[in-house]
Amino acid sequence: MANSNVIIQVEDLVKVYPGGTRAVNEVNFSVEQGEFFGFLGPNGAGKSTTMKILGTLLGRTSGLAMVGGYDVTRNPKEVRRTIGFAMQEVGLDDLATGWDFLVMQGLLYGMSRREAKARTEELLELVALTDVAKRKVGAYSGGMRRRIDLAAALVHRPAVLFLDEPTTGLDPQSRLAIWEHLEQLNREGITIFLTTQMMEEADHLCERIAIIDRGEIVAEGKPAELKSEVGDDLVVLTVAGEDEAERHGQAERALELLTPLEYVDEAFATDGSVSVSVKDGGAAIPSLLQALGREDIAIVNLSLTRPTLDDVFLKHTGRTIREEEAGGDEFNRVMGQWMGVSRR
Amino acid sequence: MAVFRETYYIYLRNLRVWLMPATFLPPLFISGVLYVLFAATFTEVTQLGGFSTGDYDAFLVAWIIVQAVVFSGGDSGFALLTDVMSGYFEKLLLAPINRFSILFGSLLVSGTRAMFQGVVIVVIALALGVTFKTGVLGVLALLGFAAVFGLAWACLSIIIALKTKNAQATQSSFVLFFPFVFLTTAFMPEDLLSGWFRIAVKANPVTYVTEAMRAIVVEGWEMGVILTGLWVTVAMVSVLMIVTTWLYRRVTV
Repeated sequence: MANSNVIIQVEDLVKVYPGGTRAVNEVNFSVEQGEFFGFLGPNGAGKSTTMKILGTLLGRTSGLAMVGGYDVTRNPKEVRRTIGFAMQEVGLDDLATGWDFLVMQGLLYGMSRREAKARTEELLELVALTDVAKRKVGAYSGGMRRRIDLAAALVHRPAVLFLDEPTTGLDPQSRLAIWEHLEQLNREGITIFLTTQMMEEADHLCERIAIIDRGEIVAEGKPAELKSEVGDDLVVLTVAGEDEAERHGQAERALELLTPLEYVDEAFATDGSVSVSVKDGGAAIPSLLQALGREDIAIVNLSLTRPTLDDVFLKHTGRTIREEEAGGDEFNRVMGQWMGVSRR
Repeated sequence: MAVFRETYYIYLRNLRVWLMPATFLPPLFISGVLYVLFAATFTEVTQLGGFSTGDYDAFLVAWIIVQAVVFSGGDSGFALLTDVMSGYFEKLLLAPINRFSILFGSLLVSGTRAMFQGVVIVVIALALGVTFKTGVLGVLALLGFAAVFGLAWACLSIIIALKTKNAQATQSSFVLFFPFVFLTTAFMPEDLLSGWFRIAVKANPVTYVTEAMRAIVVEGWEMGVILTGLWVTVAMVSVLMIVTTWLYRRVTV
């Protein structure tokens, strides 16, 4: 490896499912030891597939995937010892008590019964579940389930922690609790690789992110850098129109009009609105409105925002990221993942 | 060997899942009811002659164990798919263990389950006054038969589970094995059967297993019958185990 601090290395990674779906298409990135790395994208972008390949749960079609210096296909056992993995569909043993569940995890990672019990006590303390240790996991709340899953991923003191959408579906309070745990773990030196479709989560937690869309990485860097690339300020102008077609047309006209302006760094149109990136939004707004007014393009709404990662995503994909429900037959989806059947 | 250790832990965990009263009591109850009802219905049938014993309660023991083992075989595939659905199966695959310990851990539970069902039915038989010709050793042999035979049906249900990938289908598909259970010398010895039924009974491997187990209960160490049943059982387990292992290897990375 070129850089000895690199702990996750992915080169030209490709995953084609048996049905022909190209879920991951020549993806390249690397993560350094101790980094908090975020993998961002909408549902079906290829996040989970990439993560499952790194977690040895899924075979790759071609390319390189290394974790902790081990090839995920050639040395799966070494990789499994290096990583902790908390999944989006939390894989818990509902019939076991929290205590039994964690002890079992310890045993599976080669600990003696005594070690496993001592570690379980520590972890229950860490995720604040000591009080409910003797209760069945099936009776835990959503936030408690995520926390015990996190504890299970930490049983063997992994160097790298993989988290697949760790806070999706949680209430804000539980989400914050998980965030605090993760920040604490990262401070203690654990490398964290996290996937999320919440831009806010990535912005809050991650030192560096990669945005993946339709199986390809479209942007990579520090959140602050990526945001400054979009433009210092973003003015979003929503155009008036009778119907969608007219609004679309007006937005396109506005885009043509505003793009050549000297102080406009970049502009793009989407869903009946035009987003204009300018150095100083406050100063630009009057002249933007004048320019549109001269051409009789009416504006029904105007907003000025500092860029967020949502805008970064929009810039690179031309779409907004939407939190869609994982539709379809849940069972087939779960089975599909396991059986390697076509799924994105 | 780490694989034994891992298999043992997974076995203990699956045993705990099975030992939920709602899971393990109903099949036992049904077997007990079947036994008592059939015994009461046919109690005088031995007077027809051709039975190896005059005690119909003793004649039934072997088949009651066989049906219990066959019909609960579906539980193994169902349990596996339940773990797949909950994501726990994936969690096990993520641990640095031999993936076959997951399979063997669940198969061992089905062997244990079959043996346990055997014990309960033997206890009921003793309560009904049945004497076992071969004594304690015979009862142990009977339980051994039940365990290995149970393994074969557990393999079959795991094959169905891996093929259908549907928990409900896996459990209900065991209705398809009704003929295997009833096209045997379940209620009458072979000499009293005739026509197509007799041919079907002779072609059904389950008949030979039932006959061997019955011989142990009512006749004694009739090695000809017992060994035939043993070979049939071993052959079934071997073939089904190979197919199960091969399929399992294919679906796990």
